[in-house]
Amino acid sequence: MTAAVDLTASERARLWDRLRPGRAIDDRELTARVVWSVLAEPGDGTVGRLVDELGAADALELVLRRQLLATPTAVRREAQLVAQAVGGEYAARGLEPPRGIRAGFLRWQPRMSGELIESVFRMAAASSAVLLLPSDVEWPQAAADLGENAPLLLWCLGDVAPLAELDRSAALVGTRAATGYGSHVATEFAAGLAARGWAVVSGGAYGIDATAHRAALAARGRTIAVMAGGLHAFYPSGNSELIARVARTGLVVAEVPFGTPPTPFRFLSRNRLIAALTGVTVVIEAGLRSGSINTANHASELGRPLGVVPGPITSPSSAGCHALLRDRPSSVVTSVDEIIALAQGGVAPPDPLAPLADPDDPRYGRVRSALSRRAPRSVAEIAARSGLAAGETAALLGVLLLDGTVRKTDAGWVSVRDAG
Amino acid sequence: MGVARTLSVALQGLSGALVDVEASISSGLPLFKLIGLPDTSLAEAAHRVLSAASNSGCSLAQSRVTANLSPAVLPKHGSAFDLGIALAAMAAAGRVSPQSIATTMHLGELGLDGRVRPVLGVLPAVHAAVASGVRRVMVPIGNLAEAALVPGIEAIPVASLREAAIRHGGDFTPIAVEPVLAAPAAARAVDEADLSDVIGNEAAVRALVVAAAGGHHLFLLGPPGAGKTMLAERMPGILPDLGEQAALEATSIRSLTELGSVAGLVTRPPYEAPHHTASAAALVGGGSGRIRPGAAVRATHGVLFLDEAPEFQAVALDALRQPLESGRITISRANHQAEFPARFQLVLAANPCPCGQFGVSDGDCSCTPGRRRLYLSRLSGPLMDRIDLQIPVDRLSPAQLRRGDDARGRPSAEVRELVTQARGAARERFATLGWELNGHTPSRWLTDGPGRLPRRIIAPLENYYQSHGMTMRGYIRVLRVAWTLADLDGVATPGAEHLGAAIALREGRPA
Repeated sequence: MTAAVDLTASERARLWDRLRPGRAIDDRELTARVVWSVLAEPGDGTVGRLVDELGAADALELVLRRQLLATPTAVRREAQLVAQAVGGEYAARGLEPPRGIRAGFLRWQPRMSGELIESVFRMAAASSAVLLLPSDVEWPQAAADLGENAPLLLWCLGDVAPLAELDRSAALVGTRAATGYGSHVATEFAAGLAARGWAVVSGGAYGIDATAHRAALAARGRTIAVMAGGLHAFYPSGNSELIARVARTGLVVAEVPFGTPPTPFRFLSRNRLIAALTGVTVVIEAGLRSGSINTANHASELGRPLGVVPGPITSPSSAGCHALLRDRPSSVVTSVDEIIALAQGGVAPPDPLAPLADPDDPRYGRVRSALSRRAPRSVAEIAARSGLAAGETAALLGVLLLDGTVRKTDAGWVSVRDAG
Repeated sequence: MGVARTLSVALQGLSGALVDVEASISSGLPLFKLIGLPDTSLAEAAHRVLSAASNSGCSLAQSRVTANLSPAVLPKHGSAFDLGIALAAMAAAGRVSPQSIATTMHLGELGLDGRVRPVLGVLPAVHAAVASGVRRVMVPIGNLAEAALVPGIEAIPVASLREAAIRHGGDFTPIAVEPVLAAPAAARAVDEADLSDVIGNEAAVRALVVAAAGGHHLFLLGPPGAGKTMLAERMPGILPDLGEQAALEATSIRSLTELGSVAGLVTRPPYEAPHHTASAAALVGGGSGRIRPGAAVRATHGVLFLDEAPEFQAVALDALRQPLESGRITISRANHQAEFPARFQLVLAANPCPCGQFGVSDGDCSCTPGRRRLYLSRLSGPLMDRIDLQIPVDRLSPAQLRRGDDARGRPSAEVRELVTQARGAARERFATLGWELNGHTPSRWLTDGPGRLPRRIIAPLENYYQSHGMTMRGYIRVLRVAWTLADLDGVATPGAEHLGAAIALREGRPA
């Protein structure tokens, strides 16, 4: 549906080259999807079905009216015509047409402005974003669980590779009015997840979101911020530095096009995306009417595991968490390992860290067999028993200490598990 | 009746400012007046100059002499201006060439008999003179060795005022005098101490080597008689020779603190072990008129050993925080301030408790737990935070003593070679970064910079750090020490075993 845009074919070709380096470029499909994302709010099920069943471009051709419709009557008449045309197309393909085409047209028609659509293309051309489609290898397959409410495309700033591996990711969400406890827990969880190679997904808001992103960044881990507005500006502006850092080392994602301001409705649809993309949603702190409750509800509706961090029953910042524990199928989580176990269906054991001690190095075995579980021994004693130099023994003991297989007491070293 | 002018230098710390020394002879009652913000010892110059001049064959006692040191706002102290004042007055009296003294800088104290005596700070003063464009300096013969260390200036040694006047074209009969020379510096005991004297205590010796190689500050904790002092005294011996810049700095400080003891460039690291009754001023420096450097400054590029560290006054210990952080000491007074280099390696030693018997296998500690805790808590957190290595030192058992020679460490010279190589590797790595030693590495470089270790190695440490309540500082210290261990092994980056050894060293920590 290339006629929808007042850009020349070569201008568009240059744009797609910028937005989709190294990816398949189908001008018609891309243009149509971008236009659809301008016309409809995220999660518009009617659009989802149209695009799925007719293809974005064909559906757009049936629906788009560029001419000015001056009166409400004219709009309604046009809506009727569009509904008929769509119905005809479905009939021709032997499919059952979706309901609500007329109502949909009334929603989409006000945005069918060449200027609006073009401004999105201009802003996209000026950005360094990557535009992902469901046909791309990096596309997060989990998004398909949203069915007809799945996103049509994703605007991405940063490294898109982690999107394909979101089965090892957790959404850490919570109130903007985080308490010291909530911030502490968010930091611990985000750092722990990051250390285990899990991506930390959140919404870039103040409070828990920002703390989670920050901790993941500090731990050099992967973190993804899902924005409610377009990528032309980061919201909230007080976190724009942080979100820019996320874009540099992680990924910032938006479903809505450039220029779209974040509104309450879009926060809710953003929450559905966070819940869908991640392997587990963890609510760290939430008041009774918090947006994170909405994310949690989406997660449990999608059948995603839901973890909740309990707090003091006297804390209003934890009241929503306790309500979730009461009313929703959810689990109490108190550690990173529990989050990971929850994401993996509660069966698989948490990823153990690879031991620092080289398993092929026989010296570690010699040191361990020189240790006792009960009687603490000094380095000199262990060195003598294992036939190794004292300095070497101390170094090997240190490695085993980091692996947690030996322990240091005031009186000396003991082994934690049976040697061998 | 006339005016003559010459040059001298006023020192503030190690930096010097050129001072014009003017003398005028005018008509009036005989008087010798010195003006231009002199301190007491400098105000007494009048007596020395008058006596020395008359004993050198040029009596000024019947003249009205005004000597002025300018700029007047600059505080001036000490006796090094004597020679300049005397020559300016003699030139004003027409007995020496005013042109000759005008372009020459003069340093030296005068004896009443006219001999020129050595003064403090000749090396930094001559340095300042060269920097200000002076090309000729006249120094006491006892300070010639120092002045000769500075390139780009002609140093003229003189033994007496008479000789100086003759040098400047004065018509005097030369009389040979016995030159005043400073007593030669005694050989330092620490240069004789060898690491192979230490029996047993391999872990502590190892820690000493690591501390030397990485420039890490070291804390030795052990009962009396365990050999803490013995170990500390062997630290300078295993440090490499000072580099050119460091040697110049160390020599300048010695020139400022020990009268005429500089015979050549100081190339071995200094060693300072102030007693635990030392005040803050004694440690970092002080004084109201002339600001004198303290032990921490004298230990620059060497070792500062504080035995019985908890017995020091808390203010004295905490005064060390600035130099530990920045490597410099700034001492401010109402009208001036002096800055000294103070980048030393700190070695602290302490008993485990006031009676010293706690933790000794056959000892019987009589201290209550509260008293024990209080004792070591006198070492403040911020101070201990800067100490990378905390090592227990055990008393030798009779069995170890019997092993004697078998348990002897390697000789200092051999270890010094190792330390020099390790320091070289670190210097190469940090060449463009502004520091030279692992002990000075900023934490950023280790956690976010090029010094970040691969995930496989760092993840277990992070895990340990989280689960054992280790502080961030402790974590950084382990990484710093691991880099030093890698340097000692001649490896480019630390591996699992270096990290293990660093953790083992840390786990040996007494507190």
